[in-house]
Amino acid sequence: MSNSTTFVPAQNRSVLWMRLLLWTILLLFAIWFLLPAYVVVGTSLKDLAEIRGGSLLALPHELNFTAWRHAWSEACIGVTCTGLEPYFWNSVTMALPAVTLSTLLGALTGYALTKWQFKGANLVFALILFGCFVPFQVVILPMAQTLGLIGITNTVYGLILVHTVYGLAFTTLFFRNYYVTIPDELVRAATIDGAGFFTIFRRIILPLSPPIIVVSVIWQFTQIWNDFLFGASFTTGGAQPITVAMNNLVNTTTGVKQYNVDMAAALITAAPTLFVYIVAGRYFVRGLTAGSVKG
Amino acid sequence: MASLTIKNAVKRYGNVEVLKGVDIDLEDGEFLVLLGASGCGKSTLLNMIAGLETVTEGEISIGDRVINDVHPKDRDIAMVFQSYALYPNMTVGKNIAFGLEMRGVPKPEREAAVFEVAKMLQMDHLLDRKPSQLSGGQRQRVAMGRALVRRPEVFLFDEPLSNLDAKLRLEMRTEIKRLHKRLNATMVYVTHDQIEALTLADRIAILKDGEVQQLASPAEIYDLPVNMFVAGLVGSPPMNFIATKVSRTEKGFGAEIYVRAHGAEHPILLDLTDHSTSVAPFVGRDIVIGLRPEAITQAGVGSVETQSFASEVDVTEATGADTLCILNWNGKEVMARVSSGYAQIIEGTMEFAVDMSRASLFDPDTETRLD
Repeated sequence: MSNSTTFVPAQNRSVLWMRLLLWTILLLFAIWFLLPAYVVVGTSLKDLAEIRGGSLLALPHELNFTAWRHAWSEACIGVTCTGLEPYFWNSVTMALPAVTLSTLLGALTGYALTKWQFKGANLVFALILFGCFVPFQVVILPMAQTLGLIGITNTVYGLILVHTVYGLAFTTLFFRNYYVTIPDELVRAATIDGAGFFTIFRRIILPLSPPIIVVSVIWQFTQIWNDFLFGASFTTGGAQPITVAMNNLVNTTTGVKQYNVDMAAALITAAPTLFVYIVAGRYFVRGLTAGSVKG
Repeated sequence: MASLTIKNAVKRYGNVEVLKGVDIDLEDGEFLVLLGASGCGKSTLLNMIAGLETVTEGEISIGDRVINDVHPKDRDIAMVFQSYALYPNMTVGKNIAFGLEMRGVPKPEREAAVFEVAKMLQMDHLLDRKPSQLSGGQRQRVAMGRALVRRPEVFLFDEPLSNLDAKLRLEMRTEIKRLHKRLNATMVYVTHDQIEALTLADRIAILKDGEVQQLASPAEIYDLPVNMFVAGLVGSPPMNFIATKVSRTEKGFGAEIYVRAHGAEHPILLDLTDHSTSVAPFVGRDIVIGLRPEAITQAGVGSVETQSFASEVDVTEATGADTLCILNWNGKEVMARVSSGYAQIIEGTMEFAVDMSRASLFDPDTETRLD
C-alpha cells in the first residue's frame, strides 16, 4: 500500500475495504489450517461419552486430563501396559546424543572441507551431498546387517548410530555452506598465531557457528524424534522410540476405540519438536539466511 | 631480527607456473615491497614466506635456517592481512594475546605485552571491545598489534591499507614507516599501489607474470627503470613513451619528432648526445624515448643544458601544486608537468623545456633499457 493514499480521504475507504477483505481471507485460511490441531487438542480433553455424544468440533465441557494421564502412564502398547512414558525416555536418550554427535561431526567435516581444502575436497563434498538424496528405505538392509555385526541390534545405541550416520550428510551440508562464508584469512591468521586444526575449530570457528548450530539442531532433532521407519525396523518391544510406541498404542485396541487417548498420545509425541520450534524457531530462518547478505 | 633469503623460488599449481624462479636477498632490518598488478604472484610469494603455501622448488631461509618445511608458527614471522582477519568472537586484547597464548606464554606476561603494544599503537582504551565495534582504522591497528606483540624476526604485510579510505591510508602509511624505523625489523610488504611502494620501501621488487623485473631502491626504480613495464608501472602520471628513430647530428646523436604548435606539425630534433654510448648502435633504427612528465616543463626555469621549443597545449589538468599539460607529439598524447602559477596564464601554444639527460631509452623490440 502506498503512503500517498493515506492523505486522500476519498481513497481511504476503499483501502479500508481492501484491508478488511485481506484480513478476512487470512483469517479463513488460519482457521482452516488450525482446525486439525483444534480437533486433536479438543478431543484429547473430552471423555469417551462426550466424544460419542457431541460433534467433532464442539468445545470440551471441562478440562479433563484423564486421557493424557492414561496415555502417559497406563495405556497398553502391545501386551505391556506402561503408557508412553518409558518410550518417551527412549526417544530422549536416542535423540539427544544423536543430535549432538551428528551436529558436532557435521561441523567438523564442514570445517575441514572448507578451511583445509585438500585435493578432491569438492568431490568428497559432492559425494556427501549425495547422501542427502538416499532414501531411508535403501539403507535399511545394509544397516541391519551392520548393527548385527556390531551387536547393537534392538538397542537405543543402534538407533543413535543409525541417525548419526544418516544425519551427517545434512549437517555437513549446513556447516559447509555456512563456513564458506567465513573468510579463510581467519584460519591463516590463526595458523600463523600457532593454533592447530582443532584449536582453530574450538576457539575461532565454533564461536562463530551458533546460527548454523541452531539450524542443524532443529533439523536433526525433528528428523530423529519424528523418525518411524528406523525405529520400527531396528527395535522391538522395550527399546522402541516413542513414535513406534504411539503407533502401537493406537493399534492396540481392547473393545472400545479410545480416541481421546490416541489424540493425547499424538500430542505427547509431538510436544518436544513443537517445543524446539517455539524456543529456537526464530533462529532457524536467521541461520538459514545468515551469510547470504554481506555485512 | 634476521635476514631473509629467497633462492630460485618456484611455485606451480599443476602445470601453471605462478612463480618462475624468484631470487631476493633481504638484509636484516630491510623493508622490501613486492609491487605488481593482481595475478603477478606477489601474494603467492608472501604466502610462501609465511608458510601458507608450499614451495614447489627453491629455498627460502630466515637467518641461516631454511624454512621450506617449517610450520608457519615456528618460522618466527607475523603477518598482517588485507581483511585484517581479526577473530570476531574475541576482544581486542584477546586478539592480540592469542598468538602468545598459543605459544604458552603465562598470563601476566601476556597481559603486560598486550598493554605495551596497545600503548605503542595508541589503542589501550580499546582492549575490551570486540572487532565489530571498531572503525576500519582501529581494526587495522589491532591487526598490526597482533603482529607486533610477538616480536617476530620478519613482518609480512599483505596489502594492509587497501581497505582504508584515502586519508586513513596516508596516516597508516606513515605509521608503518615509523614502526619500521623504531623496530628496525625486516619487513616484506605486498601492494599494487606504486606510491605506497615508493614511500615505504628500502627496496622494491617489481613482479610480472611470476618474474622479478627489477629489484632496486625506489629512486633507482623511478629514475632508471630496466624496462618499459617497470617504467609504465611506477610513477603517476606514468612515463611518456615516444617512439622515434635515432639519427646522427653535428653534435652527436638526435631523434626527430613532430610537435604540434601554432596549428601545424613542426619537426624537432631531440638531443640524445647525453646517451651517446647507448644510442650509437641504434643509428637509423627505431627507439623509444621515455620521459617522465616532470622532465618536460615550462621553459626558462630549467638549467642551461635543457632544450626548449614551442608546443600546443591540448588540455590542462590542475593537480594543486602542479598542472599537467597534455601535448601532442608524434600524433600521441604526451604529459608535461608545469608549476601551477605558470600554467594559469597559458592558452594555446607555449614554450616547453625538455631535460633529455633524464630520459630513459628503450629498445622497442625487447622493451628493455639501453645502457
